[in-house]
Amino acid sequence: MTENGFDTSCGASSGTRILVIEDEDTITEFLKTGLKYEGYQVTIAKDGVTGVDCAREMEPDLIILDIMLPDKDGFEVCRRIRRRDSDVPILMLTAKKEISDKVKGLDVGADDYLTKPFSFEELLARIRALLRRSGRAVDSTELRVVDIVLNTETREVYKGGKKVSLTPTEFSLLELFMRHPRRVFTRETLLNRIWGYDYAGDTNIVDVHISHLRDKIGDKPPCLIRTHYGVGYAFYPGEGK
Amino acid sequence: MWKKLSLRTRLTILYAGLLALLLTILGVTFFIDTRNLLIENTASHIRATAKPIIEHWLYGENLSSQAIEGTKKKPDSKYLKKISRQLARDLTSRNVVAIVLDKNGKVIANGKVLEEEPAPVSPNPFYYRRAFSGENEVTYILSTDNKNVLVLLIPLRSAPGSDHVLGVVQLSSPLTPVERILYRHGLTLAVGTLITLILGTALGLLLISSALSELRHMIATCQSITEGRMDQRVHLPQRSDEVGQLAQAFNRMVERLEASFSAQRRFVASAAHELRTPLTALRGSLEVLMRGAQDDPATVAHLCHGMYREVLRLSKLCEELLDLAKLEISENVQKEKVVLKEFVNEFEEQARVLSQEREISILEGPSVSLKADPNMLKQILFDLLQNALQHTGRNGRIALGWKLGDNGVDIWVEDNGHGILAEDLPHIFEPFYQGKKVSECGEHHKGSGLGLTLVKAMVEAHGGSIEVRSEVNRGTTFLIKLPFE
Ligand SMILES: Nc1ncnc2c1ncn2[C@@H]1O[C@H](COP(=O)(O)OP(=O)(O)O)[C@@H](O)[C@H]1O
Ligand SMILES: [Mg+2]
Repeated sequence: MTENGFDTSCGASSGTRILVIEDEDTITEFLKTGLKYEGYQVTIAKDGVTGVDCAREMEPDLIILDIMLPDKDGFEVCRRIRRRDSDVPILMLTAKKEISDKVKGLDVGADDYLTKPFSFEELLARIRALLRRSGRAVDSTELRVVDIVLNTETREVYKGGKKVSLTPTEFSLLELFMRHPRRVFTRETLLNRIWGYDYAGDTNIVDVHISHLRDKIGDKPPCLIRTHYGVGYAFYPGEGK
Repeated sequence: MWKKLSLRTRLTILYAGLLALLLTILGVTFFIDTRNLLIENTASHIRATAKPIIEHWLYGENLSSQAIEGTKKKPDSKYLKKISRQLARDLTSRNVVAIVLDKNGKVIANGKVLEEEPAPVSPNPFYYRRAFSGENEVTYILSTDNKNVLVLLIPLRSAPGSDHVLGVVQLSSPLTPVERILYRHGLTLAVGTLITLILGTALGLLLISSALSELRHMIATCQSITEGRMDQRVHLPQRSDEVGQLAQAFNRMVERLEASFSAQRRFVASAAHELRTPLTALRGSLEVLMRGAQDDPATVAHLCHGMYREVLRLSKLCEELLDLAKLEISENVQKEKVVLKEFVNEFEEQARVLSQEREISILEGPSVSLKADPNMLKQILFDLLQNALQHTGRNGRIALGWKLGDNGVDIWVEDNGHGILAEDLPHIFEPFYQGKKVSECGEHHKGSGLGLTLVKAMVEAHGGSIEVRSEVNRGTTFLIKLPFE
């Protein structure tokens, strides 16, 4: 996590499959959109019975399970899934703050829980932690593009073997770009993800930081970080255009 | 001042006061009685001792020997004078001294000879006259400088029972021995009274304290309840007196309060819980949008649609909560005359718009009118209709009708939908309660679970009641009983 509270390491190894068992349409929709955007494959089940069936058929890497389901409660579903597949990580969503619920949730075999309403960032962090713990995702701490090496743990960047010193904001920008090559980020999106959702400033600040970043990594045409006029920026690793 | 004292102090003071009064009256009466008895005793003892001596000297051998000398003669004053010295002397002892008075009240003989014998008191003419006129029992007490002397007067008659009195014998005896006894007696009484008073007061205090200790226990319980511990109760050993009844009434009251408080708490908790789902959806959707989904117009439209739905849901919840709060104030019911037939016909038009392809039939009952709030009545029917629509399939049939009930009108709304599970049936009127899905028919709907709670509250605000009958996969009937007034 960076100091402004946003985790920009979104490197879901594509193909990580997540099963969401939840009956509230609006919630499943944003989960599906948001998780897909982060590179996960998402399947939705709207009730417990379907959920148990899906869990058996598709063998997901992680299950997000709501406690309040129309046909049976989440604990029961959790127990059933556990009976078949013992080690798929299960993240429970609870609407109640009561601790007994949480304890019970972990008791029946859930690995973690989140209380509604939760932050999507938090959800992503938990998912990543669970995947890492279960050894289903290799989350490398070192990103390499052409001659740039970025270490997410030591927060150091090397360009052609020489250390480049970046501000935390510049570091977060570079990390985001390197994790999502070729994706076009608008200035608003960059503001939200790097500066925070409640940052109410001018989007010009993005341009200023990106030009600093380009200077520091010695980005010469054909650029790694390219400007899409009227849209935003994108990162193109090592391909001439 | 008195009112400021604690109940315990007041009762104890009253109790001690009464005890003191009682003991004092008893003691004083007892003391006076004893004193009189002792004095009387002394007096009669002196008289009893004196009687044979007087008889001996007046009518005894001396006189008979005299009678032998001459004719049979009664004793006269001359004779009296002759024997008076010996008579007085014989009547005098260590604690009694006698003097003899003649018919003029003059002392003619004094019995005191020895030093240790008490000195005679000077005769009192008033008592003397009473004795001289023939009164036998003249007794009085003469108080001279801190010494009380008992004085007895005995008339000397010329013959036993005769009216002719020759003189009077005055016997006087100091009351010192009697007073000594009385003093001891009084002391014992006083000390006894004091001890009894102290013990009695202490015992009274103890009794009152134990009687009031339950009250103090209740005060302590009240205080801990005030501090928010609603589960506290007054535990008293089984007792049926006023304190026991008070404790029971108090416990019942707290129980009611606790029940209504916890209902309130549950309600608030459920309401907050109800807010969580829409809030989760809104927050999540917004975050996803801001993280980048905003750059894709199709996704924006999709998520916005969902967010709008959640906002509508929140607004509805808010409105229902406000309605429920309003219903607690009965002035919000504005009753007017409602002709049921006209009212239902008007409602039918709007109902058909809502019902889409489902069939709605109106079964008209007798033409009646009742006093009701037309807006609420409309909302009641509207909510019941909405529920019926939500829980019936495309081929649903819904019937609305009314008939005369006891002292009012019975209105029913009937559907042939999937019904309510027996386990849900007792709870459907509870706030936020939503039944389990019986089958996949009807439109997918996410209510708040407040609909029937509101309906029930509105019916009850009219003094009516609501009943439900339901059979799974056969249908559901809601019956509202409204009084005419
Ligand atoms: N006509 C009906 N047929 C079947 N079930 C019903 C009907 N009306 C109410 N219910 C049940 O009662 C519950 C409570 O209803 P209500 O208080 O209106 O809440 P909501 O409609 O918001 O769920 C519903 O969830 C449903 O299970
Ligand atoms: Mg309803």
